[in-house]
Amino acid sequence: MRPAAAAALLAGLAAAALLAQRTISVAVIAALLLLLCLRAPAGRRRLYLVGALVSGLAVVVVTPFVEEIGTHVLWSGPTVPVLGHLDVTTEELRNGIFQGLRLTAVALAFAAYALLLDHDRLVSGTRFARRSVLAVALATRLVPTLERDAAGLVESLRGRGVEVTGARGRARLLSPLLAGSLERSLNLAEAMEARGYGRPGRTRAAQPAWTFGEKGALVLAVMLVAIGALWL
Amino acid sequence: MALATVRSLSYSYPGGLEALRECSLDLEPGEVVALFGPSGSGKSTLLRALAGLVPHFHGGRFSGRVEVAGLDTRRVRPAELAGTVATLFQDPEDQVVFTRVRAEVVFGLENLGTPPAEIESRALEALAAVGAAELADRPVAELSGGELQRVCLASVLALRPRLLLLDEPTSQLDPDGAAAAIELARSSGAAVVVSEQRPERVLDACDRVLFLDGGRIRDGALPEAWLPREAALPDAEPSGAPVCRLENVTFGYGRKPQVTLCYKEGERPAVENASLRVGRGEIVALLGPNGSGKTTLAKLAAGLLEPWTGTVTREGRACYLSQDPGRYLVAERVDEEAALAVGGDLSRARRTLAELGLAGYEGRHPRDLSSGERERLALAAVLVAEPDLLVLDEPTRGVDPERKDELTRLLRAQAPSRATLVVTNDHLFAASVADRVVSTAPERELAVA
Repeated sequence: MRPAAAAALLAGLAAAALLAQRTISVAVIAALLLLLCLRAPAGRRRLYLVGALVSGLAVVVVTPFVEEIGTHVLWSGPTVPVLGHLDVTTEELRNGIFQGLRLTAVALAFAAYALLLDHDRLVSGTRFARRSVLAVALATRLVPTLERDAAGLVESLRGRGVEVTGARGRARLLSPLLAGSLERSLNLAEAMEARGYGRPGRTRAAQPAWTFGEKGALVLAVMLVAIGALWL
Repeated sequence: MALATVRSLSYSYPGGLEALRECSLDLEPGEVVALFGPSGSGKSTLLRALAGLVPHFHGGRFSGRVEVAGLDTRRVRPAELAGTVATLFQDPEDQVVFTRVRAEVVFGLENLGTPPAEIESRALEALAAVGAAELADRPVAELSGGELQRVCLASVLALRPRLLLLDEPTSQLDPDGAAAAIELARSSGAAVVVSEQRPERVLDACDRVLFLDGGRIRDGALPEAWLPREAALPDAEPSGAPVCRLENVTFGYGRKPQVTLCYKEGERPAVENASLRVGRGEIVALLGPNGSGKTTLAKLAAGLLEPWTGTVTREGRACYLSQDPGRYLVAERVDEEAALAVGGDLSRARRTLAELGLAGYEGRHPRDLSSGERERLALAAVLVAEPDLLVLDEPTRGVDPERKDELTRLLRAQAPSRATLVVTNDHLFAASVADRVVSTAPERELAVA
């Protein structure tokens, strides 16, 4: 399937997760996306999965403390400045799980997009908003590029007999990683301009026609949004 | 009529660094001009001026005039000059836009408005010309440095420019690959300006030479260090007590086969049944074509990789300096960077920095240094540890001949105290620095311990 159709399907699933009103529906969508992500190589998917699950879990944990809904109190805590009285109700917990699953589903949809799609074909196949699609494709590459740079930094330090261990050791890599990615982005922008990027009159390489299945995927993506809004 | 003219060009980068001073030159259609000069002499800046990237992309103070094919580069943006001019930048890793080779080569053609029916065929033709046709569907991240450099060359050749600007196009290529790349550029019919740190790689192919020094184009003969030299590769016997010994070592980057070493298609190990010894007091140069496993072998020797099979024994401390080490600096100050390997001992770090000509730089941020200075800092960061085994991976990449001579003298002076393994595709450097040469070329057996 061409990446544009697959991206549309993923977007449809993410939208359905955002529009659905039942926790079970969102959980099913998240599970489906998780299964998709598990098709990616283990080494590459780990960071994305950890990111998606941790952010979802964070929402589950934080939501009951910042919301004030429901009357079935499970736990009553102290009163703290700014946040007010801390308590956890069944309704807050339910809502936290619901919102956490929503975020996880959207993050997993992005993970599947980043891990499984051929971004080059996605950019080449795009007829409109090419700049935006290219910017998203380049941003998506940031994670693997940073991983490679981090591996290079760790290897460079190990080559000097310095082992990178613990949170402090890894934190020391953040600043050179950021500086390195800024340098890289400037060099890339220069190389793109030198190869005519942004010049009017751009063409695109001949693309194969959309197949019946790919058109069907687009229709299904639209249907997913409608189903999410109306029935889930 | 000249294809490009540069008249009284002076240029300073934002922040005041004056890179070019009163440069003037003419480039005739089809001629090949070699551009030599020490690191920081303005070679890359002159190429950027010819591509219009200076001043459009970098800003700064620009005076004088640059015209390419009748277009004044101050008035025409670099993207509009693209096609007439094509630039191959120094670092191939920083100019790759797409994740797959084919899309990368197609990118420039699409930008220039090439008819859709021609795009694919021209891209494949350019890849075939650089001997990279089989790489068309490979992910860019899986390519070796040399393969990536060839793909980048294909990306600019596919544009069929009238002026081809090559900034150290052979820095990661083995001698055969380098000769082929230069010949290809020459036969493209474009005027070519090629900046190079290894004069012997381009002198035979070029019509004339320009030498830049301190931002000025210098007349007269080339300085002695830049003259082509001939040197035979050393052929001494292994000597000294072994500090590092690899015996029948096999290693690959994929998953290790479980029971026997039977490989599936495309899963061949990077190094297979290799043996190597490096003795105290000797410098061993590891040569071989791109992709033949030199870096892998060096990492195995330094203990950064564990072999699938075979044994690696080392005595004492090993240090490894990676390719392009200036990219992998982590500290906020030069002296702190150098002190990392010695537990933060700043006085020891400062002594080593002084030995490498970096006295006075201690308080600066490593990323504020020039590329040549960064390379020296990275070298200081390993030498400070006084390792028993020093492994250097392509230490002359992007290094000018004068600095290369300095590096040779330094390594020779320190050689008696350690074992040194140098991975390089620079045969002249290998001839001048090494006691012994080991090749990873398939037709030549590795020296057996």
